Amino acid sequence: MEPSETSAQADETVTVNLFVNGEPRQLQVTSNVVLLDALRDELHLTGTKKGCDHGQCGACTVHVEGKAINSCLRLAVMCEGQHITTVEGLARNGELHPVQRAFLDHDAYQCGYCTPGQMMSAAALLEDDRIAADDASVREAMSGNICRCGAYKNILEAVQDARQVMVSGTEGRS
Amino acid sequence: MDTQVIGHRTPRVDGENKLTGRADYTTDWYVDNMLHGYPVPASISHGTLEALDIEPVLAMPGVVAVYHHGNFPKLYRSPSSQAHQDQVSEVRLPFEDERIHYDGQYVAMVVAERYEQARAAAHALQARYHQDSGARPGLLETREDGRPLESEGGLRGDPDSAYERAPVKIDHVYAIAPESHMQMEMHATLAQWRDDRLIVHESTQGVVYQHKAMARIFDMPEEKVEVISHYIGSGFGNKLFMWPHAVATAAAARELGRPVKTVLSRQQDMASGGNRPASRQRLRLAADEQGRLLSMRHDSTTETSFVHPYVDSVGTPTLNLYACDNAAISHHLLEVNHGTPCPMRAPGEVSGIYALECAMDELAIALDMDPLELRRRNYSYEDPTKGLPWSSKHLDTCYDSAARRFGWERRDPRVGSMREGDEILGWGMATSSWTAGRQPCMARVELRADGTVMAACGTQDIGTGTYTVVAQTVAELTGVPLDRVEVRLGESSLPAGPLSGGSMATATTLPAVAAAVRAAIDELKEVATDEDAPFTGADPDGLAFRDGALADEQGKRVAFDDLLSGQKLGSVSGDGQAAPGDEQNQYSFRSFGAHFVEVRWDPGISRLCVSRVVSSIDIGRAVNPVTARNQVEGAIVMGIGMGLFEKLDYDPRDARLINNNYSDYIVTSHADMPEIDVELLDNPDYAFNEFGARGVGEIGLTGIAPAIANAIYHATGKRIRDLPITIEKLMEP
Repeated sequence: MEPSETSAQADETVTVNLFVNGEPRQLQVTSNVVLLDALRDELHLTGTKKGCDHGQCGACTVHVEGKAINSCLRLAVMCEGQHITTVEGLARNGELHPVQRAFLDHDAYQCGYCTPGQMMSAAALLEDDRIAADDASVREAMSGNICRCGAYKNILEAVQDARQVMVSGTEGRS
Repeated sequence: MDTQVIGHRTPRVDGENKLTGRADYTTDWYVDNMLHGYPVPASISHGTLEALDIEPVLAMPGVVAVYHHGNFPKLYRSPSSQAHQDQVSEVRLPFEDERIHYDGQYVAMVVAERYEQARAAAHALQARYHQDSGARPGLLETREDGRPLESEGGLRGDPDSAYERAPVKIDHVYAIAPESHMQMEMHATLAQWRDDRLIVHESTQGVVYQHKAMARIFDMPEEKVEVISHYIGSGFGNKLFMWPHAVATAAAARELGRPVKTVLSRQQDMASGGNRPASRQRLRLAADEQGRLLSMRHDSTTETSFVHPYVDSVGTPTLNLYACDNAAISHHLLEVNHGTPCPMRAPGEVSGIYALECAMDELAIALDMDPLELRRRNYSYEDPTKGLPWSSKHLDTCYDSAARRFGWERRDPRVGSMREGDEILGWGMATSSWTAGRQPCMARVELRADGTVMAACGTQDIGTGTYTVVAQTVAELTGVPLDRVEVRLGESSLPAGPLSGGSMATATTLPAVAAAVRAAIDELKEVATDEDAPFTGADPDGLAFRDGALADEQGKRVAFDDLLSGQKLGSVSGDGQAAPGDEQNQYSFRSFGAHFVEVRWDPGISRLCVSRVVSSIDIGRAVNPVTARNQVEGAIVMGIGMGLFEKLDYDPRDARLINNNYSDYIVTSHADMPEIDVELLDNPDYAFNEFGARGVGEIGLTGIAPAIANAIYHATGKRIRDLPITIEKLMEP
């Protein structure tokens, strides 16, 4: 057994300040609370899903400081002062994010359980200059997100469709 | 039938809930005063639990209780009857005795205030075991063959003497390693007792079954139990029937007087939440020189656990896929010290079709005949097992269309003959098939004064699109647009609906929903012809319901919401039911299709991939072509895993599961994706039901693994008969 889990300190909580989907949030958690569980159990932001708890499936993907990470591999206390975006923060002012819109239009899911993680990875890769725009690069970049329903073909189409919308949106603003 | 909504591309009506995080999966439920359960798995696979060191764990922060054999309340076993819909995955109750039958069997369950506390205490709990020698490893690690199951046998003609006399024959043994469902959402239960009522949220493919099983186990009247499952992170068969974690969670909630939620870890889910059992199958096929099948024999053994006799019926395709006068199947069942298996997508048939379709490829080679031609020459025009005509079989069209789109006529049959640069191309094909089933079903529909229509059925949507096809049915029959149709599923208190399994949900549910729509419209007509109503004195049968309004023959038209408001009624409702009927005595119902697969093998660096899949599948009418196509494409993805990657690895020395996680158990990832071209034939099967739909969930998986295996032989000359076909097997000299 882990000594830290049975010692008296195991029940002591730490204050953690986060900015979640733009809102300041303060948590009182024990130091062993994982970010994924903090988002779900403390903040009841249950859109972020647990599929393996080991960083293997990608269902728990969120953005921390703009980067897509597995929230099951990070302790909540490591995120002090950081900005976190979950699937609940993807839509703005009631408008679906282009990735959400494209997932709906292309039926890029079945059961929907891996979908928040898929979309968070997609939204991040579309803003990441290191990842080329061709299909093979997108497939590779999306391979940290398992979809057991196997909707990969539609996911790829959705990501590439969202890319078009986001590019034309950027052009429209400039 | 000329349709406006059914058969047309319709985005999922539950799509936005899934895309915004609002969809309420079982794991997403939090209720006041809720505790967290965490099972403690056995770390041996065969023996006895001798002691549990409970006291130190009870002293850990937040721990409320530890349940185990010594203090678990007395419950009743479910009769586990499919006919009575109380079937469970394991008849044995949790903690029923101290015997350990498999690695991961629960020996205790910790309940604590917080999830982290329950997890820490479960990890800390020390157990002492007496480990018995002779743990039986998996079927494929032993030469044992188990006990014969007469009920699984089948015979027509005289296959043995036909085999002896035949000029061309093959005789080979095929094996499939056990697989894990790996559904993304682990098994989960939230149980609450309110007064004497039990309310269970469960990630299940069958709220009705779990409802009845819970009532039996807790010896309660059915009306006091409710099971809810609005969204399910899929199941693929392992959420059809209840598992022990749900029983343990409900019992703990009753004992403690507080709600308890248990979400299995991935490791527990894989060890104790179901698997596709290993199979060993001997195929003997014989043909004349023209390739006409003279004899088929399919002798199978599958494994199960020592606590539940699950039988994966792998032999049936050999009795009905091809025309052959002499055929026999037999089945043996072997108990092993692994977790209990259960149905997994296209259970039985996908395994049997793998062996049969590889054997057909080997027979074609023995005949020096094109493998597609061999299948055409043995085309069955009626169901050989029943002597009934197929209701609607278009497999020949599937063969033609998929072969043409794939370019099959350009195939050079010589092994290793098709090259592109460093890569050798292999082309293989296989037939695909799944039976079409239908169950009795009930539904309720309400026409409401606010202009909406509500349809309710106690089935559930596991991601296949049931919410959407029910909404389409209502929109089609009422003319009310989809955004004013509300669909309620996933509650056992609704009119009883089917399991989401066996590709039966659509064909079972939609006719009942349609009957309920018609009953509600009839009710509206009664209201409309009452005194002081818009159609007072009119004959209800003379009124028609179109585009959301009642109209008479003179052209008077009143929208249903105006009519209800005018009569001061909030709603009218109709109950509907539907069941299979006499058509079952006139036709045999089955779906067919064909898969063509290209693999690429680079012998220099031992790289293997599936590069292209072209499929034509006939499922009758696709009620929603978008979601139906997604089912087949997804099944192809899963089939690539079955062919190349998936295997539960158990240690042959002690039968313990080794690869109990998402990185050591390999499934198809996005980077593994081939080019996929799926065609759904649109031939409505109106003999089956008024919508012509036969179901689509399983068929796409059947035939993929053998098409891959046949393609690999074509590329490499290696006939690997054991799935999965890993690169290591191809590297062996």
